[in-house]
Amino acid sequence: MTTTLIPTDLPRRRGVAAKFGSFGKAVLITLLVVFAGFPVYWMLGTSLGTESSLYGGSQPLIPEFQNIGQWGGFLSDIPIFRWLGNSFVIAAGTTILSLVLATMAAYALSRYRFHGRGVAGFIFFSTQMLPEALIIVPLYAIFAGAGLLNSHWGLVLADTAFVMPVAMFIIKSGIDKIPYEIEESARIDGCSRLRILTTIVLPLIMPSIAAAAVIAFFDGWNEFMFANTFISSSDLWPASVGLSSFLGQFYTPMNVVMFCALLFALPAIIFFLWAQRGIVSGLTAGSVKG
Amino acid sequence: MATSTLEAPRSTPRAAPPKRPRGSGAVGRFIERNGAYLFLFPAIVYLAIFTVFPLIRGLMLSFTATKLVNPAGGKPVGVENYEYLLSSDKFWTSVVTTLLYTLFTVVFSVGIGTAGALLLNTAFKGRGIIRAIATIPWAVPTVAAALIFVWIYNNEQGILNRTTSALGMGQHGWLVDPQYGLFAVTLATVWKLTPLVMLVMLSALQSVPQELREATWVDGATRFQSFLAVTLPHLMPTLRVITLLMTIWSIRRFEIIFLITGGGPLDVTNTLVVNVYRTAFQDQNLGRAAAIGALGLVLSLLVTVVYFIVEQIQERQESQR
Repeated sequence: MTTTLIPTDLPRRRGVAAKFGSFGKAVLITLLVVFAGFPVYWMLGTSLGTESSLYGGSQPLIPEFQNIGQWGGFLSDIPIFRWLGNSFVIAAGTTILSLVLATMAAYALSRYRFHGRGVAGFIFFSTQMLPEALIIVPLYAIFAGAGLLNSHWGLVLADTAFVMPVAMFIIKSGIDKIPYEIEESARIDGCSRLRILTTIVLPLIMPSIAAAAVIAFFDGWNEFMFANTFISSSDLWPASVGLSSFLGQFYTPMNVVMFCALLFALPAIIFFLWAQRGIVSGLTAGSVKG
Repeated sequence: MATSTLEAPRSTPRAAPPKRPRGSGAVGRFIERNGAYLFLFPAIVYLAIFTVFPLIRGLMLSFTATKLVNPAGGKPVGVENYEYLLSSDKFWTSVVTTLLYTLFTVVFSVGIGTAGALLLNTAFKGRGIIRAIATIPWAVPTVAAALIFVWIYNNEQGILNRTTSALGMGQHGWLVDPQYGLFAVTLATVWKLTPLVMLVMLSALQSVPQELREATWVDGATRFQSFLAVTLPHLMPTLRVITLLMTIWSIRRFEIIFLITGGGPLDVTNTLVVNVYRTAFQDQNLGRAAAIGALGLVLSLLVTVVYFIVEQIQERQESQR
């Protein structure tokens, strides 16, 4: 679609704009990269610093890569792998539960016309508006009664309630794009709706499912408020709560904390860079265009 | 504009409903006839249990004097919690703080995010890598981001104070001086969220019709004029929706503020949701916390209503043009 018949030698930039052009752009791009990248670079640098370089003098601007060997020693100080494992369990549970509920609901909202369809859609959307803080107080009371405090199950249930509607919108927009005719022939052959959903629709909406999965996994991986409130045993803490426990404590050196933060952030960053294309199309299609 | 409404049900291309139920036997026929409800049932029940029911419970709690030690219930006190809040300075400060935080966060993240997207959408060397770096903060977990910024803001060893003093602007207590509390949490939030706006706007830019832009060049328009005539109108629906979402999300944002300042110094970053949390789990007053939450929800709803009214007016103007 981008090929056109326009001659390429048309004057497109004039005067000041042309002179500003490439230099100004380079400056702006540099600023953007420094703004976005610096804190992550600084986290890496801190994790490689020694106590004397961090607290005695001031953190060197270039990371001290020769200290990389100290990372191994940090691991024995803090149960970071246990916490990351807990985060993984919570994130995986949230992803699976959200996807199952969201896919079925998305199929219903996309393919059926029925009474209460508008109301159902509104309920899903309105969860975006609900502050978790409003829910957390009664949820705490409910979970205390149901024995769901101090349990990863409780967290999966609470996290899913907030991310499932988002996943639903992402998946629904994927289903909306598939022509109904594809399903119709299967209907005529006598396929049930559930079989159509699993054998015909699901393979076609894999990109949307993947985007929803990434969003749900991120949410479970990062979630802090519910975890901090519902989990009191440090063995069961996800990494978000474990790491936050260092805030305001002065006896834990920053290089150790930043190394743990790095371990916590790295899987998410790698996952994000790998799945970026899917996330972007899913996000825009789902939460933005509804 | 079809893309500007957030509500789920939109007219989608759809064939007529199947003429004959195709299930086998009574169960199959029941499933075929009530398919929509059966598919929707689990998700709706789920939301009913974990969202709607707690919401109603929360509203009920807000009319009681429930304490954390006995979360199951306290004695009913009518509108006492609301009366207390509406006549308390601390609550109104909290409302103003929420609005300021939301305003600054939205303006800067949407502004920088959109500008960044326009910049990254142009052709240059190494664009892929730069795009990746510019969007990484969104992937950094909030708790990790908070820890990084706490260290950056550190009084003695923080890089921010080292920079400001090198520039001759002196050192400041970014996290202890009430003057800078809101700045500190806003900067960290903008850092974390701008990439999301950038990602969304980049993808919106991808669908700007290039033929139209090139046609304006043929007609002698400058790049800037064709931006105003073609690109910007094309971006408007996405821009409006991301602004609304950023606003709603800012009103309910908790973690980054709670972790960096804990609502302090001197309550200058005590937004409504932070206030809810502190009232519930530090002051142990669940009833009053629930009331703050309910008033916070009213604020979200008000903002949404204002948004939809503004959107209606804008769309009418656009369609008249």
